[in-house]
Amino acid sequence: KKWAATAPRIPCTRLALHHFDVNYSLQLKDLWPSVRASLLCEQKYGALLNNFSADDYVTQELELMNATDFVSEGSRKAQQGAAAEEVRREESRPQEVPGKVRTVMQTETQAEMSPPLRASISSNIKCYTYPRGDITRFRPARQDSLGILDYYLMDAASLLPVLALNVQRGDLVLDLCAAPGGKTLALLQTGLCGHLAANDVSISRTKRLYSILNSYIPKNIRETVSVTSYDGRDWKQLEGGTFHKVLVDVPCTTDRHAVMEEENNIFHKRRTKERQMLPMLQLQLLMAGILATKPGGKVVYSTCSLSSLQNECVVERAVDIAETQFNISVHVEDLSHFRMLFQDTFSFFSDCRLGELVLPHLTANFGPMYFCKLHRV
Amino acid sequence: MAGRLLRGCVRAAGLCPRRAFGEAAGLRDMGFSQEQAQRLLGVESRLSPQRREAAVAQLLLLGLNAEAILGLLERRPELLRMPTERLQERAGKLRGLGLDGGQLQRALIRCPELFTLPRKRMAAAVRLLRERCLFTAEQLREVLWTCPNVLLEEPHQLHHHFQYVYFRMGVQQKEMVKARLFRMPFAELRNRHIFLERRGLYQTPCKGQTQTNNPKLKDIIQLSEKDFLANVAHSTPEEFEVFKKLLAREEEEKEEEEEEEENR
Ligand SMILES: C[S@@+](CC[C@H](N)C(=O)[O-])C[C@H]1O[C@@H](n2cnc3c(N)ncnc32)[C@H](O)[C@@H]1O
Repeated sequence: KKWAATAPRIPCTRLALHHFDVNYSLQLKDLWPSVRASLLCEQKYGALLNNFSADDYVTQELELMNATDFVSEGSRKAQQGAAAEEVRREESRPQEVPGKVRTVMQTETQAEMSPPLRASISSNIKCYTYPRGDITRFRPARQDSLGILDYYLMDAASLLPVLALNVQRGDLVLDLCAAPGGKTLALLQTGLCGHLAANDVSISRTKRLYSILNSYIPKNIRETVSVTSYDGRDWKQLEGGTFHKVLVDVPCTTDRHAVMEEENNIFHKRRTKERQMLPMLQLQLLMAGILATKPGGKVVYSTCSLSSLQNECVVERAVDIAETQFNISVHVEDLSHFRMLFQDTFSFFSDCRLGELVLPHLTANFGPMYFCKLHRV
Repeated sequence: MAGRLLRGCVRAAGLCPRRAFGEAAGLRDMGFSQEQAQRLLGVESRLSPQRREAAVAQLLLLGLNAEAILGLLERRPELLRMPTERLQERAGKLRGLGLDGGQLQRALIRCPELFTLPRKRMAAAVRLLRERCLFTAEQLREVLWTCPNVLLEEPHQLHHHFQYVYFRMGVQQKEMVKARLFRMPFAELRNRHIFLERRGLYQTPCKGQTQTNNPKLKDIIQLSEKDFLANVAHSTPEEFEVFKKLLAREEEEKEEEEEEEENR
């Protein structure tokens, strides 16, 4: 092979693995061996259905193959939970005047209901996955009669940050690090975005974003997305405080990629500095995301790394800096109900200080995916 | 009553009762109980009494007891049809490899195919173990009586099996012998080893390294899957099941890829 002469003596994947062995065995303790083996084995995919595709045979086809839509399963669970809670409330308030119950209930539902039930996972996003332990693969995506692809194959855990963002009708949405565009596509599947701004600093990667939009989204809708190539860190200078929802899906050590692929590996000696600067870059991007959010708006921060340095620590620092340097108060939202609703599909880390972390597991080999939701007060 | 039943069976087996009776007596003389003799007559029932007795005599001469012989023949009826010279020749060969008395018996009971295996094939396996894998004569003897099935392996496959354990797992011959390496099919050993390796629990030792934290080969090979998972891999059957499926698919696809490359 041509590049053999310049290739490093120790493969990058080895360096990455060694680095992870040292750090993650401390962080994840007994869970690390299981996560490690999962990272080194084939990952699992989900099929994000394209609501803009004209073909309706796909759902049937997928269900025949035993795949299920984990999003609707989760929302069904949430509804059942909400109904059960309502019954409980009703029962615990026998002295109430019947006519008054409704109004009291409604305000209470907003204020007191436990987080799992407050969260409506009622989204138009549909993503099919095979059951735990099933290693069947999806066929490649196919075009419908209009040339639009029927589904997008992606790590199903990547949808969790999008679901957490919980886009409401008419929301102005910013996807700050959007390329190649899996999450952008999912945001569009909600059909709710008032406007979607998709940004990525890398020109070559934005090209891939364009090509995904072209293959999945009809022209009239595609044209409502504005694709830009700014350095996300400068966003605040362009438009501050304008978005209802902001997704900050930052560059990270891409743990799965780092232990499996030599090409473009962040653990290459040449990229040491870049790798060490990641938490700083992530913090700056998250800060820009927070500043781009309207007061009252939400930010979801996500990575596909297990590293708490790139996850919780970045969030903590950002909350702190927002408060002290910008006088902006930011709350971390509780997402623990995600764990309950989606535990059949994903394996969650139960000891995450802030936010949620999907751990790869051989029987459910999705992730790693960290996501944390912030509320700008 | 019992007599009628017996005669019935014998007739069903297509034997003239009188003849069967005489044969059974002959076998009883050789140390078989009435019941054992009847069972033995049921194996290859058309065989002439002379050949049956000659073959059984050969097996007795190897030191096998009546019950062991019966078990052996019930599993491998074709042994009865083998010329006695072949049985003798094969036993001699195995003795020549250093197996004596109890070891020879154990090897044969564990692996009756040793009688029927082509001579060339057996010689090739033995040569490989001695000359390419560098087992000492003493080690070879132990391998043979503990894992006689090693002789059935395709030499090419056997060599690969050995090299995998020697180079990839970093285990020396002495430990291989102690661990009864060849008792476990190679595919299963590889499943367990790669599982440990991906979990970070097994490392190929560097050249010259003698001390490692790796689990002992003995524990990887001799524990039941349940105990292996619980005590060595610290994992669950669910994870291991999926892992085996994934690894099999990986291997399959790697082979396909290699074939494609060759064809290009
Ligand atoms: C994890 S990827 C995003 C994946 C994408 N959200 C998806 O779901 O397909 C991180 C992206 O951040 C981009 N990026 C890196 N530095 C950036 C910066 N300073 N500003 C904006 N984007 C940046 C990279 O080009 C990369 O495409």
